[in-house]
Amino acid sequence: MAVDAKQLAAERAARLKAAVELKEPDRVPFTGIGGDVIAAYAGITSYEFNFDYEKQCQAIIKYVKDFPSDQPVIGMTGLGNHVASMAFSDYPDLYPIISRVDGPTNDILGVDYCRFPGRELDENSSPQFIGREYMSAEEYDELIADPVKFCFEKILPRIVRAFRDMKAPEAHAAMARLALEKAKAGAAMRDMFRQLQELGYAPGGLSVFFAPLDFIGDQLRDIPNLIKDLRRYPDKVKAATEAVLEPLLKVSVNAKGPGVETAMIPLHLNEYLSPALYNEFYWPTLKEGILRLAELGMKSQVFFEGRHDAHLETILELPAGWGTAYFEKTDVRKAKKLLQGHTCIMGGIDVGMVISSTPAKLDEYIKEILGEMMPGGGFILAPNIGNLPRETPIENIRAVYEAVEKYGKY
Amino acid sequence: MREELLKSFVDMDEQEAVRIARELVESDGGAVAVLETCKEAMEEVGRLFEAGEYFLSELIAAGDMFNQIMEFTLPKLQGDEVASIGTMVLGTVQGDVHNIGKDIFKVMAEASGINVIDIGIDVPHEKFVEAIKEHKPELVGMCCLITLGVDSMKRTIEVIKEAGLRDDIKIIIGGGRVSQAVMEHVGADAWADDAARGVRLSKELLGKE
Ligand code: B12
Repeated sequence: MAVDAKQLAAERAARLKAAVELKEPDRVPFTGIGGDVIAAYAGITSYEFNFDYEKQCQAIIKYVKDFPSDQPVIGMTGLGNHVASMAFSDYPDLYPIISRVDGPTNDILGVDYCRFPGRELDENSSPQFIGREYMSAEEYDELIADPVKFCFEKILPRIVRAFRDMKAPEAHAAMARLALEKAKAGAAMRDMFRQLQELGYAPGGLSVFFAPLDFIGDQLRDIPNLIKDLRRYPDKVKAATEAVLEPLLKVSVNAKGPGVETAMIPLHLNEYLSPALYNEFYWPTLKEGILRLAELGMKSQVFFEGRHDAHLETILELPAGWGTAYFEKTDVRKAKKLLQGHTCIMGGIDVGMVISSTPAKLDEYIKEILGEMMPGGGFILAPNIGNLPRETPIENIRAVYEAVEKYGKY
Repeated sequence: MREELLKSFVDMDEQEAVRIARELVESDGGAVAVLETCKEAMEEVGRLFEAGEYFLSELIAAGDMFNQIMEFTLPKLQGDEVASIGTMVLGTVQGDVHNIGKDIFKVMAEASGINVIDIGIDVPHEKFVEAIKEHKPELVGMCCLITLGVDSMKRTIEVIKEAGLRDDIKIIIGGGRVSQAVMEHVGADAWADDAARGVRLSKELLGKE
């Protein structure tokens, strides 16, 4: 890394760190905005972005060069393979190999819930995750008794076509091919990180953790079933959230690495649940997870998807400085009133506006939101949703970056 | 008994509500009473949701109860007893696979008397056109939860226009990504990001409220 690139990386990291520590940095930290538009900007299809490592890397580097921020914008390069991560949680060295499904990986594994552009989908679609019921209500006891074993023996064969029969040669061949493919992908990734370093970004990334009830809803039962389970088998559901907590934490530790000190926790069921259900089934094990991650040396960045308004106050049960609350539809101004001095707040850019508004209006909007959110520090500017579609007008994206440059100084 | 059914339904007592409905449906004129009471209950649940007292967990549970009860009630009704106030073709737009919100809206719309033709998720533009030609609905509902879906709705509406069908229908959009600005951007007639409001506006578009 050249000296000025090193310095730039240090400045950027310091900016983000200051905000998490509830201080005022030199400028407002800005994560950048991107997504499917990264491929479009480079003139390649989403299929190419998802299947050709070299083109993907070139597209990301081009975008990051033209749109610099405090974190490199990578876009959506695959989907999580969370059941596999849990099934192999006792093998930390395998985490980079089994934790994500990208285009080539999916060709090898055949993951039931994944669809990719240029395969099942149009060549310019986003990858899709379509979950369904992989575990029946009768199987709660097995899940509770040993979640890792249960995920390996029962769920993985239902989700991964190549693992239908773990004793069959097909499964072993897939594992070997997966390792070979990931070696190729790893080389491309290292090349990308090297180029990102030259552009002033320290190597790093995010670990991941799930609210135990979300893991059960998204990966095993399917959300509508789980909502009914809460009334039909409340004790089993509760016991299951407690049982999956430990292995989920193990996976987060497996995902930790050099420069990876923050765990991203995307929440799904928060918006669905009444405060009574939230406080009984969701929050206790999520809260415990956040506290345990802190003991394990990780700050949490919780993405409160949807409207979290009904549960905002529970955040105050965490110790001040615990981490970052990233909001989607909850008004960050409202959150600030409650959480200032306790929790770093992240969000603020309405992606819908970036897609359909005009540069002049966006300038005005960023000015306003920064004017309200910056004072007192503890704020990270980010899009409320991480994915700008291919059709997003580039002049709108540019307007956001220019406005941050103009109005983002403390 | 109607009172008890209403109360247990609105209080989310699934077992009790289903038990009473089963009993009531066997009595003279009972099926009509069950249907009307359940519609009333769904309306009340929607009202509590809009008032912030109920959440999606309650909407899903209520929708499930409604479906369970209708399964044994509808076969006992005569055709004219289930008269609808209008037809809606409903689908999640191309590129988007989220279905839970659409399904919740669907049950609430059905409970309010709208005949809903559900054409699924990730629905190609042409499929909307075909469904409009086939079912001749007064309303078209589009659901969209991802940013990508915004342009998808826009294109779907363009394709409907090109097919010369736009003037025959009213279009309402719903789901997490919709707003007044998105409605104007895509050229729809109404928008709602909650089911209760969506049903209210749909009825307005049908001239029934
Ligand atoms: C649950 C969920 C999922 C589930 C979906 C389960 C299912 N079968 O639907 C799963 C896990 C499968 C999933 C998958 C994905 N998801 Co998702 N998901 C969510 C989540 C958490 C909740 C969505 C939801 O169900 N809300 C509750 C329902 C009831 O609300 P609703 O749909 O708005 O419906 C209400 C009203 O709008 C109205 N309504 C609904 N339809 C209609 C229709 C009409 C006509 C009317 C009038 C009213 C109406 O009634 C409903 C009740 O009030 C949201 C975040 C959030 N909280 O919003 C992300 C979110 C929508 N997902 C997101 C993403 C990115 C994805 C994936 C791409 C993720 C991935 N990387 O794997 C894939 C989807 C791929 C694709 N191409 O579609 C993003 C979208 C970002 C974007 N691009 O814009 C969101 C916003 C999360 C985020 N903040 O990043 N997801």
